[in-house]
Amino acid sequence: MKHTILILITVFHLSFTPFSFSGQFNSIVSIGDSMPEFDQLPSISGKSVSSTDLDKDIVVFVSLANHCPWVRGMDKDLVALSQQFESNSVQIIGFSVNHREDDRLPAMIEHASKVGYTFEYVYDESQQLGRELGATRTPEYFVFDKDRKLIYMGALYDSPAKMNKDGSIKHINGDPKEFYVNNAIQSTLANNEFNPKETRAHGCGVKYVQ
Amino acid sequence: MGAASSMYSNILLKYCLLLSITIFCCSVQASNSNSEETIITPIKHDAWLKHLASYKPNIVVVDMWAMWCSSCLERFPEMVSLHNKYKDHGVKFISMNLDDRNDKESLLAAENFISAMNATFDHFHMDENLLDAFKKINLISIPAVLIYNQEGEEKYRLSGDNPNNQFTEHDIELAIKELLKN
Repeated sequence: MKHTILILITVFHLSFTPFSFSGQFNSIVSIGDSMPEFDQLPSISGKSVSSTDLDKDIVVFVSLANHCPWVRGMDKDLVALSQQFESNSVQIIGFSVNHREDDRLPAMIEHASKVGYTFEYVYDESQQLGRELGATRTPEYFVFDKDRKLIYMGALYDSPAKMNKDGSIKHINGDPKEFYVNNAIQSTLANNEFNPKETRAHGCGVKYVQ
Repeated sequence: MGAASSMYSNILLKYCLLLSITIFCCSVQASNSNSEETIITPIKHDAWLKHLASYKPNIVVVDMWAMWCSSCLERFPEMVSLHNKYKDHGVKFISMNLDDRNDKESLLAAENFISAMNATFDHFHMDENLLDAFKKINLISIPAVLIYNQEGEEKYRLSGDNPNNQFTEHDIELAIKELLKN
């Protein structure tokens, strides 16, 4: 009887304890957190994009840096991802926050044209979007659902790819077998549960101004 | 006169040929001996942990870097200058390279980079699958600097893992000074 009361007290206590901790591989956000708001970020399309413009059921942010060999290695798979969900209610937003010249808007426009990005790719000089997402690597993905809650963050797939100086691409573990972002999108569109919700993104470090 | 000239030409030609072969052989030999002289030692994670303990009672500063990490390359001279400043104060600097162990081109470039940096401390390459290496060291991103105290305990982990708390050379030096008080 004593044990039952103790268990009930513990369950009652836990159910009202606010769980607020960051993700396993992200020091700022955790799964279930709300999408950050942002205002009028210049994009490669010539438009300015705000968080209030996003009206699709699923929004995918991806932290990018033109100079990064891990971004260049993954580019064709990102383009394939955007094409795969073109007819679905899915919006992909690439963003760059680095201040080095080859990661700024003019270089972003050139890079996007070269590799075939057809989604909005915004530049955030204030770095606020990156800070609020806790984005510390490129590439790093953040998937939000219709309620604009974070449902997945981390890598695109289980075998990151690097572009070598000669333009060749090599995946660390051969062809990818698990496609985490695709899985999160497809499952959510079909109202199914999915796992994993968080993975360790692998790539170049993002440089934040202190 | 014509026959003598032809004989001299023949001797000169043979001499040049012999000289060319000698130079080629010497250059190949030099090239081979250079390729055997590696600065960076490959090491498995388990062996690395054991090796790390052998530095006691020194303070150990480990720089995690790779050729694909431009920030790491930019920061490397800071490690060299800090090493020169603290090498005689019981502080060991170590670089741990995290290029893909199958990426021979990058590993060779890393050797050349270290050589050009004139970094006269110990250099290792984590000889593991790259993703496993990050998991085993529990790294999220690089550059990262891990600092161990005189007892071999990790006391500081300076990284870019928090956008609002990035580290500088000053933070590395502060950590060293703090540990030197012990």
